Amino acid sequence: MKRRSWLAALGVIILSLLLVAGCGGTQSKEPQKQAPKFPTKPVNLIVAYGAGGGTDVTARLLAGQLEKELGQPVTVNNVTGGGGWNGWGQLAKANPDGYTIGYLNIPNMFAGYMDPKMKRPENLDSFIPLTNHVTDYCIWAVKGDSKYKSLKDVIDYAKANPDKLSIAAHGAGGDDHLAILQIEKLTGAKFKIVHNDSTSTSVSQLLGGHIDILGANVSEVTSQVKNGELRVLGVMSGKPSEFLPEVKTFKDQGVDVLMSVSRGIAVPAKTPPDVVQALTAALEKAMQNPDHVKKAKELSLSLDIVKGDSYAKFLKGEEQKIKQLMGW
Amino acid sequence: MDSLFTTVLLNTLSLKVLMVMVIGILAGILVGTLPGFQANMGVALLLPLTFGMSADTGIIMLVSLYAAAIYGGSITAILFSTPGTTASAATAIEGFELTKQGKSGTAIRIATWCSAIGGMVGAFSLLFISPPLSLISLKFGPPEYFLIAVFGLITIASIASGSLLVKGLIAGSVGFLLSTVGLDLDSGYPRFIFGMSFLASGISFVPAVIGLFALSQVLAMVTQDSGSMGSGVAHYDKKDWKFFITLDELRQVKNTIMRSLGIGMVIGVLPGAGADVAAWVSYHEAKRFSKHPEKFGKGAIDGIAAAEVAKNTECGGALIPLLTLGIPGSTTAAILLGALVMHGLVPGRDLFTKYAEITYTIIIGFILANFLMAVIGMAVSRHIAKLTNINIGILAPVIVTLTVIGSYALGNNIYDVWTMVAFGILGYFMKNHGYHPAALVLGLILGPMAEKGFRQSLVLSNGNLLEYFFTRPISVTLIVLIVLTMVGPLLMEKRRQWKARIAG
Repeated sequence: MKRRSWLAALGVIILSLLLVAGCGGTQSKEPQKQAPKFPTKPVNLIVAYGAGGGTDVTARLLAGQLEKELGQPVTVNNVTGGGGWNGWGQLAKANPDGYTIGYLNIPNMFAGYMDPKMKRPENLDSFIPLTNHVTDYCIWAVKGDSKYKSLKDVIDYAKANPDKLSIAAHGAGGDDHLAILQIEKLTGAKFKIVHNDSTSTSVSQLLGGHIDILGANVSEVTSQVKNGELRVLGVMSGKPSEFLPEVKTFKDQGVDVLMSVSRGIAVPAKTPPDVVQALTAALEKAMQNPDHVKKAKELSLSLDIVKGDSYAKFLKGEEQKIKQLMGW
Repeated sequence: MDSLFTTVLLNTLSLKVLMVMVIGILAGILVGTLPGFQANMGVALLLPLTFGMSADTGIIMLVSLYAAAIYGGSITAILFSTPGTTASAATAIEGFELTKQGKSGTAIRIATWCSAIGGMVGAFSLLFISPPLSLISLKFGPPEYFLIAVFGLITIASIASGSLLVKGLIAGSVGFLLSTVGLDLDSGYPRFIFGMSFLASGISFVPAVIGLFALSQVLAMVTQDSGSMGSGVAHYDKKDWKFFITLDELRQVKNTIMRSLGIGMVIGVLPGAGADVAAWVSYHEAKRFSKHPEKFGKGAIDGIAAAEVAKNTECGGALIPLLTLGIPGSTTAAILLGALVMHGLVPGRDLFTKYAEITYTIIIGFILANFLMAVIGMAVSRHIAKLTNINIGILAPVIVTLTVIGSYALGNNIYDVWTMVAFGILGYFMKNHGYHPAALVLGLILGPMAEKGFRQSLVLSNGNLLEYFFTRPISVTLIVLIVLTMVGPLLMEKRRQWKARIAG
């Protein structure tokens, strides 16, 4: 008897799990013909990276607010692997009814389709970009007690001694790497590039003295900067970051580079215009909600709301920039 | 100091904290036992719940879940050879052997209390030696990581010894080769993906482990058709289930525990090496120092103790670089970092001075949570263990369902399920022909670590590798240890033969 009750319990657990998994993956294929009242059912928000990563944290923060605006649950769905393209591919192929939305990650998604070796059918035109959400600018940092005090010190040394200074980035074609390539091109300096799959490894390599410079993003270093363990040499944004107000931009220090990772929301191409409009309006309201703004600030995420055409234009511009730098 | 101590104690023992601890532990054990659900997923899902709580309460809930998830994976590893998390794969080897002998109670008891001991000591070290340990961890650069990976690969010799060694090495090399699949980090070149872009991030590791251990085991069970798992004995024996670990058992494994504590701690503070590496290295060392190495692979409790102590010590150890330097050593630690920051706590010296009350409450809570975890774990696993007596006809479909759901849930894509199935079939044939799947898993885990460490060393040394490796003290120490480990047994054997000849 007892054994049977345990089995029954197990059966229930499995069934419930099946439901959870099922809800995530499949979409109703019913076409919506009549003037739709959007939304009438839960919205699925695809994140191309795993639980706990930067995009995931951003997404979960937004999902709570977006639920209030849409009046329907918003489920974050981490579709991982494939260099992010398992997730973006799923978004592109989803039913274009507005019930599947997802984050685009710039510039990380470019390599997956621009590199001719990848032979991927999707590209930017597979999506309708709705609005950018967060932009995290690139920085260069050295150890708190480093002899290099400014960006100029580092560049000058690297020009006089090519391939002596080492710098960490997180993967070929990623934002840190693209920034280094651009700076090398602009200044004529040469660095030894070490790639890590996570920035936390790069930070410990820098603090341990194994490498000289850290290429990272603002949100990844704020706590170490507060402790004085890291010194940020410059930030690659148009104006100083709100989280590092005393750090000068690269441009102000004579190196004209803008580089960031940005995360914005898109829907599959062919999503009807009225749904796009409804979603964009809800997204904007959710992102401007004071509660959301406050929580984003606590996480050092800098909100950068760019809507519709301007966002699409930004994406095309970045695509061109990467094309030139990587030679694709 | 005295008043700090009492406030911390009162904070920790409040009803609210104890309640969230129990919730965290139950959730953790659930996450841990389900294959494919990893500790980081559980922590990420519970994180929003903590926003409404005070900093210490919320973070205690998350670390309780973390510890319990790392432990919980071993329950199913022992009972069904289905490691819930990758860290429990080493435990599955000895644990499942014991279950087949009808000694699941002993295996679970050893695993549970050793996990708790590891977790508690890990937390104590957090309390007392965080700052110096975190500084040591920074001294490990690319060459040291490469050497640690090599050290771990020697473990293959423990898993597949004697006549099986060659097959073990073959399986290990295949694993190493498979670990190179995917986009190369340095050049962005897609290696061995043959146009299948879902492989761009490499072979998904967790589904591969689930397939190699769980699915292949089910296939073996079904083809043997013995009515119940493996040999047909009743696997759940009531007499075998005692709540506490006995003094006699403790005496048997005490040296292993001490050694594994050290290993778990060192690997724990290294941000680039996780609980799975700690468990394997510790398992290997336990066998190497054992007076009865021949018992390994046939249900040695030392093997379980070693893996369990090390992986849960690693858990506490991993929090050291997080709290002192703000460097998260794992995805789970990264989420905890987010939780700390959200509650206005910035990792670093301030945590141990300005916010000492909160920090120490969290640490004491973590110690207590590890103890509670063992109590709850023993109570829960006893009932799970009864499932081992169920007929295979019922059990096999259930495990298969769980492996499929688990692989899918991990990344919400069907490719992971195919990966799991492919490795399950591979594992089945490997076992049938004497190739141990664990050797392949080791290659898969340590391959990327070794490759990255070696290639980064190449870049940093401008190609002058010898000088780079031999001018760094930790690197030289590791090289000496590796050589001793490999050559030591050979020399001992030669000496014994020589002595025997003289005596003869």
